[in-house]
Amino acid sequence: MRRLHILLVDGDPNACIRMQHSLGNEFLLQQVVSLSQARRFLAEALPDILICEVMFGNESGLDLCRFVRRSPELCHLPIILLTNLSTIQDKVAGFDAGADDYIVKPFDARHLAARIRLLWRIKRLQQFDSI
Amino acid sequence: MKKVLVIDDNPTIVELIKYAVNLQSSYQVFVAYDGVQGLERVYAERPDCVIIDVKMPRMDGYQLVRCLRGDPRTANTPLIILSAMTREEDQMIGLLSGVDEYLTKPFKPSALNAAIERVLRLSPDERRRRMDYLVQTQADRE
Repeated sequence: MRRLHILLVDGDPNACIRMQHSLGNEFLLQQVVSLSQARRFLAEALPDILICEVMFGNESGLDLCRFVRRSPELCHLPIILLTNLSTIQDKVAGFDAGADDYIVKPFDARHLAARIRLLWRIKRLQQFDSI
Repeated sequence: MKKVLVIDDNPTIVELIKYAVNLQSSYQVFVAYDGVQGLERVYAERPDCVIIDVKMPRMDGYQLVRCLRGDPRTANTPLIILSAMTREEDQMIGLLSGVDEYLTKPFKPSALNAAIERVLRLSPDERRRRMDYLVQTQADRE
């Protein structure tokens, strides 16, 4: 299986280093630290999977989810929300905004890697199914 | 007594499942009629096993399964999908979402009870190994 290209959107500049350490070499990780940077990145490149925090000060990662789902070029991009927000309302809002998966921090690295692989397989399956 | 939560938007189906799961063993059965209510009941009742329909209002069964698997508090809860969606692709999406068993309607009470017994015995390690195997076999098929 080729290395999946993951865009991590997280305001904590060290999040990518920690995640790279946890996930090893199986994934190619790139990080941006704001939603505006994420939009600029996505205008230039299409990752395999988007992993996004929800809390960005006055902004919300859910806005990025909606932006992706509204965009004809990006709408099929698999999205995982990875966040400390863990109430039922938070989760429902996440799925309503267009997220495919919702993972609550702190996460087990093996678990996160498995969720990434599973979501990728689901998206591939849906892609073939719609042909 | 083990607790079983049934989540299905069809009240008749819910009653059938309640009847079926108590034919062979005695379970304490809770019910919910949509995905969000089901999520609320999972956190309130901490069931030993959850039986989930796919097509439901507010949150579908696949989303509910991913939601539960993505939270350390519920990541190892035994989950069964019981759905009228019978295509192989639907079943694979259910299994890849993290469900332990995918059963289709109409169902036999004995098959449902056997599935409950199987998922109650699954350890977290076994669950992880099954998921890894599933991902690998899907990758090999491409």
